[in-house]
Amino acid sequence: MKRVGVVPICVVTILLLSVGRGVALEVQVTAVEASYEGPSDPQLLQLRPRLRRLVGYRAFRVLQDERRNCPWRSMAAFSLPGGRLVHIMPKGMRADEVMMHVQVVHGLRALVDTDLRLQNRGVMLIGLDEDVQAPGILLIMLKAVE
Amino acid sequence: MMAERAMTCEDAAPLLDAFVDAELEGATLIAVARHAAGCPSCDTTLRELIALHEALESHGRADAESVDLSGLWPVLEPQLDATDARRAWRRRLRSAQVWGGLALAASALFFLSGPQQRPTQVATRARPNQAVIERIDSEGGRFELRRERKNGTTLIMVSATADDVP
Repeated sequence: MKRVGVVPICVVTILLLSVGRGVALEVQVTAVEASYEGPSDPQLLQLRPRLRRLVGYRAFRVLQDERRNCPWRSMAAFSLPGGRLVHIMPKGMRADEVMMHVQVVHGLRALVDTDLRLQNRGVMLIGLDEDVQAPGILLIMLKAVE
Repeated sequence: MMAERAMTCEDAAPLLDAFVDAELEGATLIAVARHAAGCPSCDTTLRELIALHEALESHGRADAESVDLSGLWPVLEPQLDATDARRAWRRRLRSAQVWGGLALAASALFFLSGPQQRPTQVATRARPNQAVIERIDSEGGRFELRRERKNGTTLIMVSATADDVP
């Protein structure tokens, strides 16, 4: 009896969650190299103070920028420099927040595996400092627009 | 002669980086310094930037030849944001149940606080980049969460070297 009730409730919930949102979420993944010195890309000049406050480096250069529509509840892979991958699965919207599952993978290792809620049209960052021989770090900027 | 308009936080915020780098010209430098002297928020930001600047300078420059950054994070970590209580966070973030418990506790506190009590003012308007980490994990390496105050921009910093691989 209980099981019979659970299925319709789940279906209704999914339908309700689907109402008022598109079939896909636009996700932008930007790989940025942060280093101690050098010029910063003009497109990052506005963000530079914020990046500077967060990571301490002075120079920021865009290595790669990809924008794609990711269907809800499907895993999308964005490749990054150095053979890394970002897996993103948009899970849904809550108020004006995008719920996502995000993984940063290098080989078999999941460097980051997280479930998060990001303000719609907001930007968040993942910083990777994997190579002690190389000065600077790789910043991954994630932006989600519903 | 017209008196100069006093600098506001909005004016000062984009100049703080350049201030720390000594890239500002004299009058602007003085105006930023004057503003920060009377503004706790900008003063705190400035102190954080200076701490970062010094930590990076002392480590980055001294080890420039060997480029060994292994000692950088331990030095940066305590200086970045003393109020963030990151270590406690990381433990809590691993369990979504804890968040549920916190939410319940917060709701209970709200309802038990009584009508005559003035509610504590909390930030009700979401910041443009606000992110809530519900769960986080990493295979090897260390990670930490940093959050920028003004826009709420969240950074998940992962420091993983070959030595960290399990």
